[in-house]
Amino acid sequence: MGKSWLRDYIIKRLIYAVIIAFGILTITFILLRVGPNSPADKYLANIAAHGGDPAQVQAAIEARYGLDKPIYVQYFEYMGNLFRGNLGWSFSTSMPVIELIKTHWIYSFQLILLASIFAAILGTLIGIYSAVRQYTKADYAFTFLSFMGISIPTFWLGIMLILVFSVKLGIFNVYYDTTLPLFSLENLKALVLPVITLGTGMLAGYVRYTRSNMLDNLKKAFVTTARAKGLPERTVIGKHVFRNALLPLVTIVMFDLGSIVFGGAYLTEYVFGIPGLGQISFNAVFANDYPVVVAVTLISTFVVLLVNLATDVSYTYLDPRIRYG
Amino acid sequence: MAEKSLKTVSESGSSSGRGTGLVNYYWQRIRRNKLAVAGLAFIVFLVALAIIGPLFTSDPTAANFDEKDIPPIGFTYLQSAYNIQTDQITTKEIHGTPKHILGTDSKGTDMLAMLISGARISLLVGLIATGIAIILGTIIGVLSAYLGGWADNILMRFTDIMMTFPFFLLLVLIVFVFGPSLAIIVLVIGLTGWTGTARMIRSEALSLRTREFVVASKALGARDSRVVFRHLIPNVISLITIMATLAIPGVILAEAGLSFIGLGDPNRASWGIILQSGWRTMRTLWWVAVEPGIMLFLTVLAFNFLGDGLRDAFDPKSNV
Repeated sequence: MGKSWLRDYIIKRLIYAVIIAFGILTITFILLRVGPNSPADKYLANIAAHGGDPAQVQAAIEARYGLDKPIYVQYFEYMGNLFRGNLGWSFSTSMPVIELIKTHWIYSFQLILLASIFAAILGTLIGIYSAVRQYTKADYAFTFLSFMGISIPTFWLGIMLILVFSVKLGIFNVYYDTTLPLFSLENLKALVLPVITLGTGMLAGYVRYTRSNMLDNLKKAFVTTARAKGLPERTVIGKHVFRNALLPLVTIVMFDLGSIVFGGAYLTEYVFGIPGLGQISFNAVFANDYPVVVAVTLISTFVVLLVNLATDVSYTYLDPRIRYG
Repeated sequence: MAEKSLKTVSESGSSSGRGTGLVNYYWQRIRRNKLAVAGLAFIVFLVALAIIGPLFTSDPTAANFDEKDIPPIGFTYLQSAYNIQTDQITTKEIHGTPKHILGTDSKGTDMLAMLISGARISLLVGLIATGIAIILGTIIGVLSAYLGGWADNILMRFTDIMMTFPFFLLLVLIVFVFGPSLAIIVLVIGLTGWTGTARMIRSEALSLRTREFVVASKALGARDSRVVFRHLIPNVISLITIMATLAIPGVILAEAGLSFIGLGDPNRASWGIILQSGWRTMRTLWWVAVEPGIMLFLTVLAFNFLGDGLRDAFDPKSNV
């Protein structure tokens, strides 16, 4: 039967992703139209404050942004623009939103990537250690610490790290230096505190998941078999237990992206002054620059959607037992 | 023999006796988890503080510039001031006083009073928003499982769409559109946070529908509503309790995060808003940044400990 079921499955998942994408865009559209702070109101407040004639200004704005057209025309125009990659015009920075995002996404990306790597590697190692040494003092200590890690507010952790390592000890700069070249040791040093800030919560989560998954798998019959065969403990843990515990971890890492990582990155960027997507969204909120706020939320949502899709598909390769109908 | 078994049935049949027995049983299991008990104790303490605390503290919004920059009791702060007439910088040592145990901020407002007022807001937001989310999630989950077919399909696809949005960024967008007020924040968190509960309740409902006692009650002519309220809800109530306890910290952190970036209700001294002003003055008045964070941290930790303890206590497979 070959791989045709896999192709069918991927096509099915793609159609499904397109449906979800339509849902996301529609909900965002409705949100923007029912909100009291519609774009026209925001422009109006700005311009009326400078002595313009409100009625005239409003008519001009509505005509320019197509707000005088029927709602379904607006909806199709909104969809059409997004499909052509036109995310609108950021008036607080006077450039197309897409250009703004092209210059800033890399800062969010490097932060999230480094924090994920830091958290996944360290979290898995501590989780394995804790599971193998279950009910020892070290296990209790790590379990307690991981509780603290999932409970500590990201932004407060960032502030405390700055207070201790930057203000008191002077090891790091208080604010992220945007003039640093991206691929340099100085940049890496500047990212140490932000990565710890964003990574701690993730790390603690991964410790807990790895530990409980490892413990579940340690009880399975195939582990007893492997030990009975006389395999060294290192092989039993590394090949039999860890590989089986890894798969659920992949899902958790991907799931965290939407629920924890993007929110955490937003606040981390704000605390450290990193000019990523969170920072431009934050600035846009206070400049009433609504196309930027919408664009950042939409782009993050679509990243989550694509990552979910990639996870589902990669699963079929990671675990040969999985077959989707 | 027959008499004995009859007696057992009638004993376990009295609902009040069974109820207290079960509560007692779970309480015994929770009590063995020291961290869960510590968490519960802290939450009770916090609730008491939030209710009666404001009676004993000063106004958490009142500024008093004669008493500004006072550090917590036991600490000393070196306050420097520039005198324009003499063109000199004078420094003055300020000691912590028993009148302001946790110190005051740059406007002279008592930190303890602000933290207690913040506890009120955090707990209120946490409980109400979680309540809305859990009720909504239960309704959607039950409807999805019982209606089935296209209704189930639509409800679950809608759940998928809501789950794809990164939670915090969706909150930022909605609060940006509707404006920052406490009511909006509570409503938004409640109306977006139901997805996990809906999925869980739906899968529980689907599996319970095929269980013998549900099939039996249906065979006896029970309506769907009776099955839902007599069998389904009582069976998932422990799961709902765990989910709610573990959801509260996320809600409290979301509100604090929104307040911290300036999207909170500007008229209330929530922990996030105190932290925001503390962040601005952290190089000098470090305690204004440290104290609200400690309160947030301990509160979230307490709910996580309690939630974890509840999960172990309700899980018949776990050995407490």
